[in-house]
Amino acid sequence: MFSYNFHLALKSLKERPALTLLTILAIATGLGLYTTVKTMSYQSGQVPLAHKSKNVFLLQMDNREVTADAVEHQARMVDTTYKDTLNLMQMEMPGVKQTFNWSTYGILNVEDENINPLRTFAAVTNSAFFTMFEPPFLHGNGWDKATEESGEAVIVISKLMNDKLFGGRNSVGESVRINTHVLKIIGVLDTWHLTHKFYDRSFSRARPDNFFIPYSFAMQNGLPRRAGFDCWAANADIARSFRTENTERLINSECAWVTFWAEVPEEKFADYRQQIISYMESERALGRFPRELVMYLTNLNDQLAYVHGRNQFLNTFSVLATLFFAVCLLNAVGILLAKFMRRKKEVSLRRALGAKKKTIIMQHLLEVIIIGFLGGVLGIVISYFGLQGMMSIRLYSSDYTVRVEDVLPYFQLNWTMIGHAFLTGIICTIVASIYPIWRLCNVPPASQLKSQ
Amino acid sequence: MLRMENVSKIYRTDLVETHALRKVDLHIKSGEFVSVTGPSGSGKTTFLNLAGALETFEEGDYFLDGHNVKGLSDDKLSEIRNQKIGFIFQSFNLLPDLPLFDNVDVPLRYRGMSAKERKERIEHALETVGLASRMQHLPTQLSGGQQQRVAIARAIAGDPLFLLADEPTGNLDSLMAQQVMELLEDINSKGTTIIMVTHDDQLARRAHRNIQIFDGQVSDIEKSVADDVIRSA
Ligand SMILES: Nc1ncnc2c1ncn2[C@@H]1O[C@H](COP(=O)(O)OP(=O)(O)O)[C@@H](O)[C@H]1O
Ligand SMILES: [Mg+2]
Repeated sequence: MFSYNFHLALKSLKERPALTLLTILAIATGLGLYTTVKTMSYQSGQVPLAHKSKNVFLLQMDNREVTADAVEHQARMVDTTYKDTLNLMQMEMPGVKQTFNWSTYGILNVEDENINPLRTFAAVTNSAFFTMFEPPFLHGNGWDKATEESGEAVIVISKLMNDKLFGGRNSVGESVRINTHVLKIIGVLDTWHLTHKFYDRSFSRARPDNFFIPYSFAMQNGLPRRAGFDCWAANADIARSFRTENTERLINSECAWVTFWAEVPEEKFADYRQQIISYMESERALGRFPRELVMYLTNLNDQLAYVHGRNQFLNTFSVLATLFFAVCLLNAVGILLAKFMRRKKEVSLRRALGAKKKTIIMQHLLEVIIIGFLGGVLGIVISYFGLQGMMSIRLYSSDYTVRVEDVLPYFQLNWTMIGHAFLTGIICTIVASIYPIWRLCNVPPASQLKSQ
Repeated sequence: MLRMENVSKIYRTDLVETHALRKVDLHIKSGEFVSVTGPSGSGKTTFLNLAGALETFEEGDYFLDGHNVKGLSDDKLSEIRNQKIGFIFQSFNLLPDLPLFDNVDVPLRYRGMSAKERKERIEHALETVGLASRMQHLPTQLSGGQQQRVAIARAIAGDPLFLLADEPTGNLDSLMAQQVMELLEDINSKGTTIIMVTHDDQLARRAHRNIQIFDGQVSDIEKSVADDVIRSA
């Protein structure tokens, strides 16, 4: 019976190829756009460090004057001051890791005279960065705590820079110059696929940094702190002049310019939090933290959900694509209804000759599943081109400053999305066919066979 | 084999109730050839539809092969139509895009027979109606009489208990009508019960027994009497 129904379904598809094609196209276009958006949404919703994202927390302590504006959770919320950073790093708690980072810049040079000096950014951080955030190493390693404490001039570089500056060879042991400082390369990273550059809490789609320098070296040599930050109370002026400020003045300032992270296992979380609060209270006794003790430990999942949820473009586009898909499905209902109603006479004959309702349903369901299947396949092809198109727009809107490799992951179909699109296509087509099939299987047997 | 007791059928629309059949009592025995006559709109098709389990009815009982058909599920009725009844329609109702072979195949498919058995039955049925050499032709390539013979092949391929024919010759010229009638008589002579609605008195008279329907009421007349009635009418 199945093979007969399948045969009839195929025959019926071929019978009116234009109608069949129209139905498939209606489903495929709707599904294509829908999958384009869903994929973008899915990809940009991927949490970095997924295996431990719920245990990696951004620390935010509100150390501003009483008169400062109220802060909304997560909105441009304060970073951490350097002195708090150093104090917190003193806290010892087994199982808890802490890291922090900021961004610096300088002119980079190598011995090879064929390579022009280049202006570059670098991440300044501590040794725990590499164990917490797990960037993959191609050669060498990160630095250890001892190296860091001695203020040694070492650097970790990206694969991209290793290719560019050293032609891809193992450059560990060689050196680069930043401004007047010579730094020894101790590690070369492999390509680091982060769905979001989270560690500077920008959550941008920018590539991770190309250079990583120990904070001790950066502070001892007065490497500048890049980009704006908040200063308050007596230090309010620093914020406006930080570029020329020597870092000496930043060290003890009430300026929040360090992004502070902690990796805390679940069972230690309450203790860790309490420890931070105790610290804030003890500082308060010294006249700091004048406001209510506002403190946030937000894990990567929550941060990403927040950033993702605020993506106006994706949200709007999602709603539109869903509506469009619904319209396409309604259209498919119309076409299927027209197509099936033409078959009333044949169905009433088949019913008279002994076909059960469920057999008629099965025959047409098979037909619809084939349509859904083809619509799904075509929809996935359309979404592939849709994503390519969206990526072109992204590249264009950045004036081609981002490279394809950097944004590709956000516009890439994967098996999850393909499977999702496929199922959606088939299920929605079946749903769209319920009414037409119901109408058809309820045609009374022989009712359409009256003599002409 | 086919017994109706007090069967009534009412068609209800928003405005009117049509008493298409009124308290029909009838018994048709195995092997009979029964003709059904009556004016247009008198309820002949309705009677055949009930006999063929194509429609349900509210009142009375209908025993088919000893089982009461009343109140059976739609699935069960489909099974009965498929296994016990062969239908022949005035306008043939072949599927135009299927070759003869596949047309005859339709009821057998819904019976879930093996391919081998279906093939044997189809070939045999088409042979019986004299169209074995045209198995792969499309219905449109045949004359009306030939098409009706294909419909007859489709009806007999499953060895039904009886054939129901609703004006099987109504769309045919008299020569072709003759041939179809001869074919039906031939099939009947081999034991298949046939109930045939017709407008043609000549043909009606050739049946063993004639049933007349007037305004939904059935009068059942044995052949000898029937002849008189028809002659005097
Ligand atoms: N599906 C239906 N709905 C309403 N009335 C019907 C329906 N089928 C038949 N009738 C009515 O029932 C009566 C008998 O019809 P029918 O059995 O087709 O007559 P015949 O075949 O003798 O010409 C007619 O009055 C007809 O209008
Ligand atoms: Mg009629």
